[in-house]
This record gives sequence, structure tokens and C-alpha cells, in this order.
Amino acid sequence: MAKIIVVTSGKGGVGKTTSAAAIATGLALRGNKTVVIDFDVGLRNLDLIMGCERRVVYDLINVIQGEAGLNQAMIRDKRVDNLHILPASQTRDKDALSAEGVEKVLDALSKDFDYVICDSPAGIERGAQLAMYHADEAVVVTNPEVSSVRDSDRILGLLSSKSRRAEQNLDPVKEHLLITRYDPERVSDGDMLNLEDIQEILAINLIGLIPESEAVLRASNQGVPVTHDMKSDAGQAYTDTVSRLLGEDVPLRFHEYQKKGLLSRMFGGGRR
Amino acid sequence: MSLNVDRAGSAFTFKGGMLPMTVMELISADPERIREQLAGKLSQSPAFFQHTPVVLSVEKLDEPHLALERICAVCRAHKLLPVAVRGGADPVKQSAWALGLGWFPPQEERTRALESVAPSAPAEAPQPTPEIQGAVGSRIHRGTVRSGQQVSAPDGDLVVLGAVNAGAEVLAGGNVHVYGALRGRALAGIRGDREASIFCHELHGELLSLAGNYKRLEDIDPQLLGKAVQVRLNDDQLTITPLV
Ligand SMILES: Nc1ncnc2c1ncn2[C@@H]1O[C@H](COP(=O)(O)OP(=O)(O)OP(=O)(O)O)[C@@H](O)[C@H]1O
Ligand SMILES: [Mg+2]
Repeated sequence: MAKIIVVTSGKGGVGKTTSAAAIATGLALRGNKTVVIDFDVGLRNLDLIMGCERRVVYDLINVIQGEAGLNQAMIRDKRVDNLHILPASQTRDKDALSAEGVEKVLDALSKDFDYVICDSPAGIERGAQLAMYHADEAVVVTNPEVSSVRDSDRILGLLSSKSRRAEQNLDPVKEHLLITRYDPERVSDGDMLNLEDIQEILAINLIGLIPESEAVLRASNQGVPVTHDMKSDAGQAYTDTVSRLLGEDVPLRFHEYQKKGLLSRMFGGGRR
Repeated sequence: MSLNVDRAGSAFTFKGGMLPMTVMELISADPERIREQLAGKLSQSPAFFQHTPVVLSVEKLDEPHLALERICAVCRAHKLLPVAVRGGADPVKQSAWALGLGWFPPQEERTRALESVAPSAPAEAPQPTPEIQGAVGSRIHRGTVRSGQQVSAPDGDLVVLGAVNAGAEVLAGGNVHVYGALRGRALAGIRGDREASIFCHELHGELLSLAGNYKRLEDIDPQLLGKAVQVRLNDDQLTITPLV
């Protein structure tokens, strides 16, 4: 039985797709048979970040509507053996996503895979609720700003009332906080919320902290999940996150602001 | 929110307030059926029917025209005073006004207007029932109350073992105790109990309300923010005192 993990946030553009791709890649690199599903019907971009947009033939909606089999629609990752991508439809209406259809697909995938990662659309409406409904665990992606924290809080409320686990009175969805786009310098300047404040408000377990990083943009332009870029801070931070998801105890990195010395301030320029 | 009239000094002043109000949710529009049920209730709990103001909610009804005048007459005959109608189509609104009653938009719409993100279905919306509740129904909520969630104990004290986050709402007929940070809205004494208090470990509340009187975050002395406090009612004024 696979573990189903939803990557969700409420607020848009905080790094869900980046994180879903990076986490799925990291899990597969560690030998877990993993599939990552794009639930963002109409705005698909997981395939871009995974670098497989040219190989998309069928999508999730085709499978749900019986027009293609799962094995036809799933795309094998070129770089990592155990990794598959199930793309979303760019053209279909998002109402084509039905609760029964999603359930059927997830049930079938659960038999074959160790991990099913669901990349949720933004918002708190149907699409986001369908993506989270079957989750065993949730990675709640949050940026260090008030509106993102508020939306994450809202999503956590929905996870505890509108998920299958909540409705059937099972053990609750295991919730993890993933802080992304963390810029320690701006945090220390007081422009952004700090780690402790976010943790205090959301009151859930911190699974990782991804710094604001140019490596992410580079990676998404190249269609290579940033986890492959182990020289980069973001690549290392996602790798740490995956280790923690697998139950390992890894110390937190990249959250402290290293004040630049006088020389580097004079010669190294100011902010990135 | 309703408008109170204060007769001291100038002819009047307008005040914002939140009065506890019984909502009579109509499931049938038939005045005869309403009469029968009211007669039954009146004999069970006569204490409740003392010209009690009620808001007639017609949201659950799917009828463009209602025998509103007859329904009101039936209510008055049983010592209930309809003061307003909630929901219904335009003809309902017009006849409410013609009868001198207020009209409120359906609850759904109102919550949507009040909040940027409407709770899709408040798990525990407060439903003041027309019966008088004798028993003290206190409630303990474990864990954080999150944005968009509402937790209520209409008939007793509410104890929250955790924080009440911004965008969340906690309500109680009695006291509200928050063993954590209060960042959302807290309403105590929602049925008019002026002795009710709000207690919290860390005050940041968006709104504090006691028996319909309220203070918003911006009305609170900044010195008190972040403190452990008790909020109580003193002559229609909310007083906040640090707990030592
Ligand atoms: N750690 C990071 N450092 C810098 N840029 C980042 C980081 N994480 C994400 N981004 C950038 O933020 C933008 C949004 O990221 P992404 O598409 O992953 O967000 P999303 O939550 O999936 O958005 P949507 O809600 O639209 O689905 C992208 O341009 C991405 O490159
Ligand atoms: Mg996305």
C-alpha cells in the first residue's frame, strides 16, 4: 500500500509544484517507487518542472474518463528509475475531475507504488479538496509571509474536517510544515516572518526549510527537479526534507543569516 | 449587529452591538403547521415565550411568496415577536418591509461578505434552538482552532486547549477560556449573559465580544497585547485586566 502525500498550501505560487517534483524525485532517488500526480487541471506545469512536457500523450482526466489506461498515461522519468509522472490535462475543464474517478486512480496506484505524491492546485475549493481528500500525509507549503501562513492555517482546518481520514474517523492526516522561499536576510531585517513565528502559529511539525534560491529558477527552466542539483542550497534542503519524511533525524540548515563581514560588504555588493 | 438607542444626553446615539437572537428556521411555510408546533412548545417551556424576539429564517424554504403576515400573527399569538426575516427572494423582502420587519440576507451570503475566505461549511455553526436549555453544556476543544473554523458552546463555557488563530471564531453562552494565543474572534455570553468573561494566555484577538458589546483589535490598548488577560463587562464597556 502506497503512502499518499498531498503537497498543498491554499495560497498560490508558494512552491507546491516545485516541492512536489523535488520531493518525488528525492523519494525515488532513495529507492522508493514513486508517482507524482498533477491535480492542477487547466494549469498543468508539473510536467514542465519534471522536464517531460514533450512526452505527454494522455493525462489524469483521460484515465478517469476511461479513454486511456494508467500505464499509457504515466510517464517514466528519464533520470530516475523508480519515478513516474501522471500529468494533468491542459485543455479539459476542471469539473472533469470527479471524486470517484480520483479514488479509482489512487486505489490502483496504491497497489503498485510506495509513494503517491499529489501536487494540489492553489485555493481551498474543489480541486484542492480532491487532491487532499485521500491523503495519509500532507506537506503544507508556506512562505514566510502573513497571507501564506493564514492560508496554510485554513488548509490545515480543512485537512482535519474534509479529508477521508477525518470523515471516516481514522487516524488524522499526518501534517508537515514545509517553509519555502525563506530568505534569512530579509527575515532578520523584519521584512518576513521568522521560522519560530510561523511554527508557533501553525503548530505542526516542521519537515523542512527551503531557502530562496536561484537554483530553483534554473532548475525549473531546465526541467530538472532541483533535488538533482546537490551543489545548491535548495537541492540540499529538499534532500534533507526527504530524509525527514523517511523518518530520519536531520538538523535544520539554511535558516540563519550569516552577517557579511565588512570586506565582503564593501566588495561583494548588497542584496542578491 | 443591531443598532441600539441610548436616550441619555442627545436625543440618541447609535451603537454597534451584537445581540443574542433566536433564529426560527422555518422548514414549512404552512401557518397551521407552525401554529400546532408552537402550541406544543408553549406548553413545554412557557418561560421561553415571553415576547421573545425572533428572526424568521426562510432560507430553507423554496417559495417565492409566503403568507408572512399570517406567520407573524401566529408567532405573536404565541408570545414570540418576529423582528426580522432572514433570506428569501425579493417578494419576501418587500413584504417583510411592508410589515415593518427588518430583512437580512441569507447567512451564506453574509459570511461571504464578512470574510475574504468563506468557511465552506462551518462544522459547528451556533444554532440557538428555540428551547430554553436548562443544563450547562460546557465544552473542551483540544488543539488549535484554525482560520475558517468555528467552535461554539452555546449553552456553557468553552475551553480551548490551544490557540485560536486569526480568522477563527470561538463562541460561548458562558465564558471563553483560551489556553494559548487568542488571535481570532472570541464571543462570550452570546445569549446575553453579562457576567461572562473571556480569558486567554496571549491576547491578540481580532474581536472580543461580551453579551453583544465588543472591542476590535484596534480598540485594544497595545500595552495589553500579548498578555494573559481577563476581559469582562463593566457598564457596557469591555475591560481588559492582566492576569497575575
Ligand atoms: N525556494 C525557492 N527559491 C526561489 N524561487 C522559488 C522557490 N520555490 C519556488 N520558487 C518560484 O516560485 C514560483 C512558483 O513556484 P511553484 O510553481 O512551485 O508554486 P505553486 O505553489 O505550485 O504555484 P501554483 O499555486 O500556481 O500551482 C516559481 O517561479 C518558482 O520558480
Ligand atoms: Mg503548482
